[in-house]
Parts: sequence; structure tokens; C-alpha cells
Amino acid sequence: MQDIKIRLASERVNHSLTFGEKGAPQLFTPGQTITDNQRVMSGHGTYLDEDNKDVLKASVAGTVERVNQLICVRPIKCRYMGEIGDVVVGRITEVQQKRWKVETNSRLDSVLLISSVNLPGGELRRRSAEDEQMMRKYLQEGDLVSAEVQSVFSDGSLSLHTRSLKYGKLSQGVLVKVPPSLILRRKNHFHNLLCGASVILGNNGLIWIYPTSPEDESGVGGFTQNLEEVIDTEDRERIARLRNCILALAASKLMLFDSSIQYAFEESLSYSIKELLTPETMVDVALHTRHRLQSYKDD
Amino acid sequence: MAGVLLSEAEKTFILHGVQSDLRNDGRSRQDYRPIELELDIVTHANGSARVRLANTDVLVGVKTEIDVPKPEKPEEGKVEFFVDCSANATPVFEGKGGEELATEISNFLASSFASSMSFDLKTLCIIKGVQCWKLYVDILILECGGNLFDAVSLAVKAALHNTMVPRVETVAMDGGNVDLQLSGDPYDCWRLDTKNMPCLVTLSKIGEHFIVDSTAEEEECSMASLVFSVTDGGRLNSLCKTSVGSLHPHTLAEALKVGVDVGVRLNKALDQALAREDRRLEADKPERFGFLK
Amino acid sequence: MPSDNRRIQGPEVSSPYCLFQSGNKNVDVHSGRSEVLSSRKDSRKFMEHRKIYLKTGVVSQAKGSAYVEFDNTKVICSVFDPREIPNRIEYSQHGELFCVFKFAPFSCLTRRAHQQDAQEKELSLCLKRALEPAVCRHEFPNFQVDIYVMVLENDGGSLAAAITCAGLALADAHVPMYDLVTAASLGVTGDKLLMDPVEEEESLCQNPNKENQNHGLITVALMGAHTQVTQMWQTGSMTAACVSDALTHLVQICEETYPIAQRCLVKSVVDTISKKAQ
Repeated sequence: MQDIKIRLASERVNHSLTFGEKGAPQLFTPGQTITDNQRVMSGHGTYLDEDNKDVLKASVAGTVERVNQLICVRPIKCRYMGEIGDVVVGRITEVQQKRWKVETNSRLDSVLLISSVNLPGGELRRRSAEDEQMMRKYLQEGDLVSAEVQSVFSDGSLSLHTRSLKYGKLSQGVLVKVPPSLILRRKNHFHNLLCGASVILGNNGLIWIYPTSPEDESGVGGFTQNLEEVIDTEDRERIARLRNCILALAASKLMLFDSSIQYAFEESLSYSIKELLTPETMVDVALHTRHRLQSYKDD
Repeated sequence: MAGVLLSEAEKTFILHGVQSDLRNDGRSRQDYRPIELELDIVTHANGSARVRLANTDVLVGVKTEIDVPKPEKPEEGKVEFFVDCSANATPVFEGKGGEELATEISNFLASSFASSMSFDLKTLCIIKGVQCWKLYVDILILECGGNLFDAVSLAVKAALHNTMVPRVETVAMDGGNVDLQLSGDPYDCWRLDTKNMPCLVTLSKIGEHFIVDSTAEEEECSMASLVFSVTDGGRLNSLCKTSVGSLHPHTLAEALKVGVDVGVRLNKALDQALAREDRRLEADKPERFGFLK
Repeated sequence: MPSDNRRIQGPEVSSPYCLFQSGNKNVDVHSGRSEVLSSRKDSRKFMEHRKIYLKTGVVSQAKGSAYVEFDNTKVICSVFDPREIPNRIEYSQHGELFCVFKFAPFSCLTRRAHQQDAQEKELSLCLKRALEPAVCRHEFPNFQVDIYVMVLENDGGSLAAAITCAGLALADAHVPMYDLVTAASLGVTGDKLLMDPVEEEESLCQNPNKENQNHGLITVALMGAHTQVTQMWQTGSMTAACVSDALTHLVQICEETYPIAQRCLVKSVVDTISKKAQ
């Protein structure tokens, strides 16, 4: 049994890895003038001043990105802004007529229509009135799903679908929440990591860690939840370690994708899992991971 | 409390994790999450402390005022605990939402500190039956990430440790009026004896086992939880069941042992931290960190 | 029990006259201690509970009601029909218990206010926690059952009496329950354990007289048929060994009072049937 340790605020560790380093990008705050050049176009996170139409100002705090004439401000911290085709992880908050409300960390609640899920018994099955009454049997409040963004409504809320075997209700595992901007957009967001566990990196900043199932690919999906299965301790250790590693990377604002997570996992092996909860260790793991990522890039 | 929504599968995962003594964040059943403490961070309070236990954030300020003692206890001062579950922590606390939790915590604190062996209110007496000190212990919940009771008690004990009560220099009775003369030097103060003050330990029962320092998710899975108020010497000042659910007497007796054991360790850890923080504050111009850095 | 804010309150600062009587209570505490250590005033044994009197159906307009007497501690409780939880938007799977614990203004040595004070709020919560495990709350989702407990006279052990009383009243109101709840309290002073202390003994147990002496009160509520403790509430300061020792005694006493509560319920059923038969 470990002794309880209470730290002091004076010993607080700064998680920022670029702290004090040069070359940090310039930040803009809402209302700050970006440019008074008339020839630019106003993109996301910017607005044109009412009085002086030439002046472009930022509406969110973040870094400026420029594509030819288009100027955008990419917010540092924001809720998830969905795009069609994104993989998301969400939690059912409400069962309604013909649809589920899903919390996906975006500005508005997302919806999952009953017509956008694969019901048991084949893809081309007709949705009957019974199905509507059975909705809570398939997914109930609190359940987690992985899904894809099917369309974005005009008000910005998302419509999801799970019409693929890889999407569907999530079974046993751990959910980690990180800022959505830290998730690197990739072709594939489902990864069976080398370390022996699997992750779904939802574009919306929700990451699902679960044990790799022996029968590949078909592990998730559908509406089954195995509540009897007891995950063995080894899998559990991997999942716990991955969880702490991901949080360590997120605390130091490192991008999250399969290799960064795998590296962090490997770098963390010199510590015990619960040591990864302390700030010093978190920074150490993040530093080593960044180092490895950079050396890989240099090669 | 602010309920977190969890799916059945997640609950099962947490339950099995507790069974195999490996919780979701890699802790064993009796491990605490990292705790951070800072003393003397509110300028206008006589004593203050902030405790951050992972995502749970508590700020405590102690104010001293002069009051008239209760007629039934003329030799004793007064102390009052007030918990504010501000809507800052979670929108659930908005309006009257946090009231029930707030009264539960403040009442429990009051009964934990009630024994004169823990907190001798006689030390707060100025003139018997006429004047005494009254301590207002105001507890502000800034963030709520599980295990509120423990975090609150750590902060309360730390803030009381940090409290400076001004020294009364002369007392003159002028007819019915009392004339108090406080010391001119603002640093001429005395401090409370916090040696025997208790810390609270919450044990949550998940499956067949008890865990300490449960996260908000784990609290959602727990069927029954017990709060112990344990002093440095391993004495129980107060004990209460704080959730729905019931316990077998045997389980309860076992939980007692664990609770007292953890409580003693927690007190020890706090004492060490307080001593270190005191040493830091003795420096010429100690830095205040608060929410920065 | 609607609390009326416009009711004329007594003067804000008034104190009971008995404090100023010669032979004040504060003095009594110490002289009383040695007496208690040898024998109790009402010539009970240390581990003997007071006589219990139980009756159900005392308030005709309530759905269920009960009256409990531990000698001079008298508690009445009424339970009303489940009703929708007011001011609640979201759906809750389990029904709620709404408990109000109140001392009648004249029930104690000092006068109690009409409005609930902090202590009464705390006891209300204790009562709620003690009853929750015993009620099949899933049978009335989104509804709440109102339980009002009034202490008519307080001579120690009012929480224990209130829990027993409310448990009976719930059963009398035909609220589905897993089990009956009975409760008992115990005082600790030094190495002496006093079962079911009267008020004088209670105040004795709240004050330590020597350093490092165990003192305090413990109340335990038990579901007799399942041997499950539904509530445990301890105050004062004592060692863990002392608490677990007290726990064993209390569980034993609760188990002993359980059949009394059962018999009381059976009797009320038999009475109703025989009344109908007439």
C-alpha cells in the first residue's frame, strides 16, 4: 500500500512543452485585428468589422491560417465542428420518436435516425412500427456508440449513421475525453495498436479504448454488449496505461494518432500505471514521445 | 450529486476493474489521485486553503469575528461551516440544485468537529459569557470530479491550520459594554491547534469491495458509500452512510478498519504537506500561485 | 407540513430559563457521570432497551401512519400517497422519498422553532437514507412518497424512534417494501456502553470529561430479515474497536425489536379484517 502524498502548489509542473521555446505561433484573441488588407476573404473564426469593412478581426482565440486569400482563425480550444465522413464517438442522451439524441461534444446535440442504423436482420429490412417501440432495446440512455457523420444540418447539428459493421454500440472499455483539435484527421480512426489494445479516435475528441477482439474487425458494431465477459488483467493494464498516456499527451497538447499513442505507451513502460497520474511523469512521457516523433520525422 | 451518464458495459468494466484491484486509471483500491494543496491564497481571509484532488477543486476561507457566546455554553466560542456548491462547478447546482449536497456536507463537518477533543471551542473564549471568537468556515466548491467529502475536509483542516486569530491585548468592562483592544501588529496572532482535527474518508462499495477516492464515474457505479471522520490518532469522530443502499454488519465492520487506516494515512500526508507549505510561507515574500502557472 | 414564513416567530434572542436555575445542567453533567457509571436512573441494565409501544393507523387521513413510544420519547409519523415529483423535468427511474423530520416546538427542553433548523435537516436526510434501501423504489418511478415525522416529546433516541416509526408507517401505507426497518441508538462514555440513552445520558455522552476518552452516540437502522444495515450514524469521538463493538450490540437490539414491529403490523391487519367481518 502506497503512502498518500499531497503536493504543494509551488511544485506544480507546467505541462507545456514549448514553454520558453522560440517559434511559438502568434495567437489572436477575439476582436483583435488580423489585417486591414481589403483583398482577403473572411473564413471561419473571423469577421469583418461593421464600421470599417476593410478590417478583418478574429472571433475566436487561436492561430491564423491562410490559404491564398482566405483567412481563417483556427481556435485552440473549441467544441467539435463536424464534417461529413468524420468518425465520432457519442453517448445517447435521449430516446425520441424515430431517433436518438447523441451527445458528441459538438455545439448542438447530434441525432441518430432509426433509418440510419443497421437493425438486426439485414440491411434492407423495412423499419416497422415495432422497431420504433423497440428503440430502447437497441440503444438506451447512457449507451456509447461509434458512428460516422452523415450530414450536417443548416444549424450545425449533426446527423449520424452507423450503417457499417465497424460502427455501432460500444461494449466494455474506457472513454477518454480530449480537446477535439488534438485528434489528427486520418483516413482510419480505428486502430488495433501494437501494444495489444484497440482505440477509436473519434474526431470529436472522444476516444474509446477497448480490448482487441480476437476475431478481427467485427469486434464492435451491432447492438450487442457483452456484460458477462470479464476482461483479463493484462488487457485491463494495457487499457489503463493507454488511458493515462493519452491524457498525458493531451495535457501537453501533443497531437493524437496511432503512432504517437503507441510511442507514448512504449515510453511509459518505465513507470507504473498509477505513476502516470502524477504531473512530472506525464510531462516526461510527453517529452520523450515528442522527441521520438521528431526524430522519426527527421529521418 | 451531478450524475454522470454511463452505459451498462462501462459500469461492468469498472466493476470488474475494482474486483481485480486495477481501476480504470491504474490505481489500486486504496490509492488516492494526486492531491495539490496551497495555503494562504485569499488575502482578506484569516486563513485559507485550496485543495485540488484531480478534478475536484475546493477553496476554503476562514473569517473570524467577535460574537456573544451561547447562554448554554458561556465558555465556548463558535464555529460555523458553510458549503457553497456554486453553479461554477456544474450547472446542476444552479439555483437550489446544490442545496441538499451543501447541507449534507456542512452538517457532516459540524458533527465531525463537534467533539471538544478535536476542536476545543474554549480556546475561542474571550470573556466568559460575554465575548468570544466566531469562526466562519466558508467552503466553495469550484469543480466537482468525485470524492467531494475528502477534498473538502482536507481543505478545511488546512485552512483552519492556516487561520490567524488576532491577539486580544486588553479587555475592559465599562458598565455593560466591553472594550476590547486588539494588538496593533497585524502579525501578532495565535493559531488554532489542528493536531486532533479530523479528515474525512469516503469509502464507496463497488461489487464486493470498498474503494477510496472514487471518481465521478465510479461514484455512479457504487451502491453504498460510507463517510468516516478520522483523526490523527485513529479515532472516529463521525460516521454516516451517504448513499442509497445497505450493508451487512460484517461488511460494515470491515469497512471500519479500512476507513480508519486510510484516514490515519491521509492525516499524516496532510500534516507533512502543511509543514512543508508553512516552511515555504515563512520565506520573505512567498509566491502565491492560485489558479495561475 | 407547509412551513409558514409569515407565522409570528418567538423573540429571536431568548434563552430557556432552566439555564439559570441553581443546580444547572452543566454542573449536573459531571455529578451525573459517576452515578451513571454505577447504575442508570430508570434502573435499567446497561444493555437494556426501554419498553417500546407501537401503533399503526393513528392518523386517519394519511395513507399510512404510525406512533412509537420509547417511554418518554414519543414520535408520530404519517405517509401520503405517491405523487409526481414537483419541479422535475427529466425522468427518474427510481421513486423518491421525501422525508421531513421535525421536533415539535414543545418537544425538547429548549423551545424549537417552527421552521426546520440545520439539525432537523440533517436528521431528515439520515432518515431518508435509512428508509431508501428498504423501499421498492423502482415500483413508482418519477413519483415521490412524502414522509412526515414529528417528535412530540424527546427523551433521547428520537432518530431511532423516527426510523422505526417511519418504517412502520410506510408498511401501513402499503408502499411496497423489501423489509421492515427498525433502529436503535447507543451512547458511549468512557468504557461504558448505554443502550437507548435518555436525553440526560445523551448529553452526558456528548461531553468527554477526561482526555482520550471514548464518548458519543451511535444510531443504527437495520432491515431485520436481510440483516442489512440501512443507516449508521455516529458522532462524538471513539476508537474503531468501540464502534464495531457498539455495532454488534445495536444490530442485536434491532433484531430483537423487529418481531415487535411485525406483530404490530399483523395486529393492525387482523383488526381491519375483523372490523370488516362485523
